[in-house]
Amino acid sequence: MKNNTHHSPPLILAIDTSCDETSAAVVQGRVVLSNIIASQTQIHQPYGGVFPTLAKQAHQENIAPTVKKALDQARIDFRLIDAIGVTQGPGLAPALEVGIEYAQKLAVAHHKPLYGINHLEAHLLSVLAQRNSRKHSIIKKNSSQVTNRFPALGIIVSGGHSQFVRINQIGKYQVLGETVDDALGEALDKVGRMLDLGYPAGAVIEKLAKHGNKGRYDFPLPMTSVKDFNLSYSGLKTAASKLIKEKNEQNKVDSLSKQDIFDFCASFQQAAFRHLCYKLNKLLQDEASSNLSPNYTEVWLGGGVASNIALRKEIRKVLRQHRLRLITPYEKRLCSDNAAMIGITIGLRIMHNQAQPNKKLDRQPSWNL
Amino acid sequence: MKIIKLNNQNYQKTVQQAVDALKTGGLVIFPTETVYGIGADATNSTAINKLLDYKSRREGKPLSIAVVDQSMANKYVELNDQAKNLYRRFLPGPYTVVSRYKKGLAAGVASEFNTLGIRIPDHKLVIEMVKKLDQPITATSANASGKKRPYTIDDILNNLSHKQKNLIDLIIDAGKLPPNEPSIVIDTTLSTPLTLRGNQEIFSMAKSSDNSLTQTFEDKTVKLVSNSENETQEIAGKLLLKHWDDLSQNGLVIGLDGELGAGKTVFTKGLARFLNISSIINSPTYSYVKEYDFVRHQTKGKLFHIDLWKIDDPQAIQQLQIPALVSPNHLIVIEWWSQLKNSVTQLKTDLNIYLEVIAKNKRSLIIK
Repeated sequence: MKNNTHHSPPLILAIDTSCDETSAAVVQGRVVLSNIIASQTQIHQPYGGVFPTLAKQAHQENIAPTVKKALDQARIDFRLIDAIGVTQGPGLAPALEVGIEYAQKLAVAHHKPLYGINHLEAHLLSVLAQRNSRKHSIIKKNSSQVTNRFPALGIIVSGGHSQFVRINQIGKYQVLGETVDDALGEALDKVGRMLDLGYPAGAVIEKLAKHGNKGRYDFPLPMTSVKDFNLSYSGLKTAASKLIKEKNEQNKVDSLSKQDIFDFCASFQQAAFRHLCYKLNKLLQDEASSNLSPNYTEVWLGGGVASNIALRKEIRKVLRQHRLRLITPYEKRLCSDNAAMIGITIGLRIMHNQAQPNKKLDRQPSWNL
Repeated sequence: MKIIKLNNQNYQKTVQQAVDALKTGGLVIFPTETVYGIGADATNSTAINKLLDYKSRREGKPLSIAVVDQSMANKYVELNDQAKNLYRRFLPGPYTVVSRYKKGLAAGVASEFNTLGIRIPDHKLVIEMVKKLDQPITATSANASGKKRPYTIDDILNNLSHKQKNLIDLIIDAGKLPPNEPSIVIDTTLSTPLTLRGNQEIFSMAKSSDNSLTQTFEDKTVKLVSNSENETQEIAGKLLLKHWDDLSQNGLVIGLDGELGAGKTVFTKGLARFLNISSIINSPTYSYVKEYDFVRHQTKGKLFHIDLWKIDDPQAIQQLQIPALVSPNHLIVIEWWSQLKNSVTQLKTDLNIYLEVIAKNKRSLIIK
């Protein structure tokens, strides 16, 4: 931190290779200067595999050019970087390893402090990311500290995770509920696959649902008899599978029509969101009636499915009853797996004195919050 | 650059002029049912290079092509069942169906991963142009990369450099288009299965049984019926107990198969319950592998819960380094094992389980 006084938030190079995407970003405090996701750019060469970025080898090929592009786009000389951060888990072990090794190598070679970050924490804090308002200049003032916003309720909804988390402070989290089987994004993807909508199908379902009647197909509301705030999507998935099979058997000549699929997407998406909203409402009611802990000030929504507008709308309906505001990341890219959220997590932790640099990092494939 | 204002009188003539321009490698801007598109003869590499110059800074976004029907699409891409269903249900219409590219187009049209998006626009003018040209044309939106969606010709021209404008040969101006969303892109290239594919012989050999664990476990292949999730989990635990020595001596690999929603994860939860693992066992589909520590019978070990659903390439599965996980006290459970069992020769399963839905809570388990 040698070049920075406390007025100037730290400049951070961040790397995420937790799963399919190779991503690198440069942030200052919580201002995003660049956020490169390699599978969306043309910087790597054709790779034989069907799922190119899954491969460790693909991460290895992508990592150096992705980091370079992140620095170039941010117009930051590597020497100015104050700290390097990398996803340590959770994720796929061979993939995590690539990012960690590369970050470690950079940190040692250039004498920069190195931080290992939890990918789920980063999804939670992604809502705090700020746009770079004055492009091409480094922000000097900008008090990037977050105060008076705690405790906040965090909701992570992605392909791999669905969780409710109490955020007491930066660095202090408590998981209140999570999926016991499939994640929300995964359920949408899989039901989309059953409807022949390709993979990943979550975003396709969202678009097709706009043309559909959400009242046409009935789905159960899961887990109403249990008191906890856990989620379950496998029952809904099985119900969807059964409905589709029945439909296909009824109409032997032509199976589901275009309108049937629109309606199915709308109905299933609604059912999937209703389940989350039901548990959310229950959780908020429960908290309100117990006087043990201070009430939430805000609700933060992160993860890939957080970009779904219909979901935001449903959540806001619940929050209105509790006089709470929903905060979402300022752009879609921050919802998916990306390195900028890793960067701002380190930025926030440093600014809130919650960060401890590491000499050597080990991958933690099953690291919980 | 020539601009034609389209009307009923000049319709046929305009189609002809567009085709003439395309034939000579020109770029033509045309209306579609979504936004204005920019077309080039997709088989002409000079035209495609010109188009790539025009679009600039594509950041890896693949181009798509417009064809008149499925049989024309079939010349350039491999259509799997999923794609065929999409064509039947959704096309022509505002959808781009991505399939695996075969051959026949200029370099740079298919994506770097050898995939290609196909459009069959629900728009008479485009279809007639393609028919007359008798070659597919590119169907990418006419705006420069990263600029406003083009619903009017001004939307396009106001955001172009002088150099870009000079690349355009013909503009067909149909006025302001209705504000329809751009086409919905559906990617069918990742062939995630709905049900078990490949041979099911090992499971079809299974004989029916009377659901008595003690008897049937003596046989090589057994079929059990479970009436609840809880029962499925109990079966999993008993099975693990039976193979406990294998687990502690060599490690145990279990292959799980069955369609989406058959209960593969439920079965794994049963194994975890038996192993006293207290954390929640949720689906590893997204991250491919999840690992858990366990202590049972004074034995410390690890459970690796693996899901191959998203993988259909032998090379990719190598990268998961599964064989390296096999060691004493490691239980390795692989969902959708039959996807790749033939391509991973260095890994053998000790047990294969096929789950099938009989009724709402009823499942059959075929164990080999």
